[in-house]
Amino acid sequence: MMDKRFLKNLDYTLVIAVFLIICFSLVTISSATLVSSPMGFKQQQEIWNKDAPGLNGVSSSEPLGVSLLKYSKMFFSDTVKKQIIWICLSIAILALVLTVPYEDFRRHRKAIYILNIVLLLLVLSPLGHSAKGATRWINMGSFSLQPSEFAKIFIIITFADFLARREGNLNTLKDLLPCFVYIGVPMLVVLKQPDLGTALVFMAIMFGMLFVAGANPKLVAGLFVGGWSLAIGWVWAHFHLGLWIPLKEYQLDRLLVFLDPWSKKNILGAGYHVVQSLIAIGSGGLEGKGIYNGSQNQLNFLPEQHTDFIFSVVGEEMGFIGVTALLLLFFILLYRGIRIASEAKDLNGTLLATGVVSMLTFHILINVGMVSGIMPVTGVPLPLFSYGGSSMLCNMIAIGILLNVHMRRQKILF
Amino acid sequence: MKTTNILVRRRITCLFLLAAAFLSLIVVRLAWIQFVRGDELREQGMVNRMRDVPVEAKRGSILDRNGNELVTSISADSVYAIPNHIEKPDQVAAQLAPILLMDEAKVKQIITKKSRFEWLKRKVDFETSEKIKALKIDGIGFAEESKRYYKQETLAPHILGFTGTDNQGLMGMEAAYNKELKGIQGRIVIEHDAAGREIPQALHQYIPATQGNNLVLTLDQTIQHFVERELDKIVASYNPKMAVIIVMDPKTGEVLAMGNRPTFSPTKWREVPQSVWDRNPAVWYNYEPGSTFKIITAASALEENAVKPNDRFYDPGYYQIADRKIRCWKDGGHGSQSFAEVVENSCNPGFIQTGLNLGKEKFYKYIRAFGFGQTTGIGLPGEARGIMIPEKDATNLNIGTMSIGQSIAVTPIQLITAIGAVANGGNLMKPQLVKRVEDYKGNVVREFKPEQVRKVISNETTTTTNQLLENVVFKGTGRNAYVDGYRVAGKTGTAQVVAERGGYASGKYVASFAGFAPVNDPKISVLIMIAEPQGGNYYGGQVAAPVFSSLALDVLRYLGVPEQKNLPKPTKINPWDVEEERIEVAVPNVVNLPLEEAQKLLREAGLAFESKGQGKMVYGQIPESGALVLSGTTVILDLSSGTSQTKQGEQVSVPNLKGKTIREAGNLLESLGLKLEPSGSGLAETQNPAEGAKLTRGSAVKVEFKPPSSDQKT
Repeated sequence: MMDKRFLKNLDYTLVIAVFLIICFSLVTISSATLVSSPMGFKQQQEIWNKDAPGLNGVSSSEPLGVSLLKYSKMFFSDTVKKQIIWICLSIAILALVLTVPYEDFRRHRKAIYILNIVLLLLVLSPLGHSAKGATRWINMGSFSLQPSEFAKIFIIITFADFLARREGNLNTLKDLLPCFVYIGVPMLVVLKQPDLGTALVFMAIMFGMLFVAGANPKLVAGLFVGGWSLAIGWVWAHFHLGLWIPLKEYQLDRLLVFLDPWSKKNILGAGYHVVQSLIAIGSGGLEGKGIYNGSQNQLNFLPEQHTDFIFSVVGEEMGFIGVTALLLLFFILLYRGIRIASEAKDLNGTLLATGVVSMLTFHILINVGMVSGIMPVTGVPLPLFSYGGSSMLCNMIAIGILLNVHMRRQKILF
Repeated sequence: MKTTNILVRRRITCLFLLAAAFLSLIVVRLAWIQFVRGDELREQGMVNRMRDVPVEAKRGSILDRNGNELVTSISADSVYAIPNHIEKPDQVAAQLAPILLMDEAKVKQIITKKSRFEWLKRKVDFETSEKIKALKIDGIGFAEESKRYYKQETLAPHILGFTGTDNQGLMGMEAAYNKELKGIQGRIVIEHDAAGREIPQALHQYIPATQGNNLVLTLDQTIQHFVERELDKIVASYNPKMAVIIVMDPKTGEVLAMGNRPTFSPTKWREVPQSVWDRNPAVWYNYEPGSTFKIITAASALEENAVKPNDRFYDPGYYQIADRKIRCWKDGGHGSQSFAEVVENSCNPGFIQTGLNLGKEKFYKYIRAFGFGQTTGIGLPGEARGIMIPEKDATNLNIGTMSIGQSIAVTPIQLITAIGAVANGGNLMKPQLVKRVEDYKGNVVREFKPEQVRKVISNETTTTTNQLLENVVFKGTGRNAYVDGYRVAGKTGTAQVVAERGGYASGKYVASFAGFAPVNDPKISVLIMIAEPQGGNYYGGQVAAPVFSSLALDVLRYLGVPEQKNLPKPTKINPWDVEEERIEVAVPNVVNLPLEEAQKLLREAGLAFESKGQGKMVYGQIPESGALVLSGTTVILDLSSGTSQTKQGEQVSVPNLKGKTIREAGNLLESLGLKLEPSGSGLAETQNPAEGAKLTRGSAVKVEFKPPSSDQKT
């Protein structure tokens, strides 16, 4: 009875958008991970041309079914398989999230807040697992978990409750101070990993939610602008006056490289990623080079092509049409999220949705901005699109929250 | 609650608009990258993954006028290494070094360089490349390159020139027409991945090279052979410092052959001194043409009516201009003669008179009109312009000497071009070495037509001049150039080599002959220039004219020029009977020299000698040193008091020791029976007694030696 009503109230537009994004993602991941060695590229291309000519526009003597079967063999790379497992798991957890009324989250706010901090601290403990100069994972046997991904969800849930309680009392700096402390504690732990990208996501979530919660707009804007000015000023002072900065040299390089990736100093260093990404996207043109056909991707010029730089693969192989299609899907997703936020039955629901939308928006902007060379290189994945279990799980939970808020938007349900 | 809701909704809308704005910004950015910068970035991507291996274009051939290949290109493999593909450099180096005849350490150094492409050895022979190919070493590759191949290495190397390792033209036509010959380099583009690994079945784009164009020269291989043969004969007989022969078609200005000595082989140019290969004397060497220039004087004067063939001249044996007497080469002069005879006899005073009659302005006008003082534009690198006294500075004396081919320096190509104009009816043609440029299929890319620079003199004048010049060969000083069966016109020349610091170098001559045939319809004009022949014989009429005779006969027959029947034959045909045109020389000082040395000096100076008395030392000479005499004059050497049997007490004259080393001075004095009492070291500065003083044998001469100092300018 209840399930039926829930299903009727599901935001199907949102569900379809998410579904399409994920399918899109799987195709792209398949292309990005098809080859680990250059040997594979041409061989696979041969197989592709020989075995699946029907799909390639070449007339085939084989029945379409056989071609499809062979193509499917190629499609399901190990990485794609792993990702599909994660997606299935995520859908299960999403379903689980839907069964719990979002109002009930509030009851466990303290537990969630503490769990969040503990998990984040655990990363820094001997259980933590390092990769690429940062400790962000906890080993869980056969796979590893990235607590900073879940931290975003936990922060949205706890901060929504935190703000809902202070409704109407967010007009002075003094009112806002507790909010900063509330977010600041987990943020400092994340920075310690170091994970600047996630810390910035926390900021985005916080400002987005504060703004919608009715905080004094001048104050929020002032703090936002002030914060940025302070950060930029600090970096400037670091370079010109030698001021200490809590960042390592490579981090600074990555942050600033987008300003001039082609310079001699950068092109083989921090700028390499950006330059290769720009080449990939730029060489895609309108229609792209075709899936499995992008040389930047297939020949491994593009770094992290199935995770952080996956958007460049879309740009190279599917061109402008591909990237705008993907951005359109994201736009639909965000639009539905905003609608859910405004239709929520209470402020807590609104803020939950706002948090999710802020998070997703910021992720998309930072990631696409990074690969297109207008924003700093911070290892922020493209939500629902980049390969990675924790990220997928977290984003699906976030979608679950949106759907949850939407399902329960009518006040008088019973 | 309601109000809050409105506020919240407004805020949410605001947030949404912000997100939408950011997304739009991103889309604009992507469009910018993909459309505006697309091509540039695509190119960048290509550069990223394509590695170029250059493919050399086959260099065009150089052909003679009849299409015979003089220089062609043949394929040769060049061995290269891709260092990061070589897994065991030590082993590979050990395998390759003996085959490539290279040092093993050197090979290893090359194949371990941090580079994607390194040449190991360029243009190896077929066997070597087969051996290496058989080894099938990863990371060792072959590029087909071409190597210059000379069918006849001795043929016209100064004109053809040669190429360097990269097949770039370095000298001659190879350099002058390098752009045409080299073609367009091709490329093999190999796709590779980010780690620099070549991709199997990768895009191996092969951009084929475009073969270079062929150069068709005006040279005729056969005539060039005749020229080289004659030059070899000249070297064998006279071993001159330099020799040049140019054969030209006077009507078109096309050079049919051009040869130089010393010469070199284009494949072994590194083995000879640079001065041999880096300049082509035919276009570079400035020399005083001597009597061959009288052709120009005669033609100019006849054109201007400054002289007529029947005008009378009187030659007393010299011509006086200002305070200088210029002597005729014939002792006592030619006496009274017509201008025709002046030309036949190559009479200096007659020509000087003619030149002065013509006058400075007109003479200079014609000299310039005939192309002297300017490059001819033949298109060979390093062409010289000749040297002329500036018109405003020229004195009558200069005009006089220029009339007989002195005080002016010309290049062989200038002279033969000018004489060609006299031969062909007065048209100065631009000398030409290239007929056309063809692509490898034989289509004409560029054609060079004969080019008339200007009309210098009239047909009538040339007819008259040619008649006079024919007589020079028929009965004058050029009789040794006579060619049986053909009417030949020409002029001999003997001149002294101008010393580096002005004045004439003693004992150094340039023998030359310039002529053309047949006179009525000239097919060839030929210049033979032999600089500093050795062995005492240096007369143009004896050294150069016979070369013309044998060369012209072969060339005319080869060209199929019909022989003319019933031509009168010159009376004297024995070459040594011809009265040689002589020049004025200064007698060197041979006193106090051993006889052999004295004879050598005199021979070099072109003087004869006769000794008087017995002995090994020369004690006196007549004429005295410094006297100007005609070449061939006999110098009498007095040996009477130089015998070893000379009694003690006899007097000898003290020689000049200044500038001699202690050893030289000692030897000299000892041979005279005198003793040296040296002081100091270096070169003799002062001596006591002075030169010429009479001393009894056994006496001592005090000589003070000083190290040569920089202020000592003598």
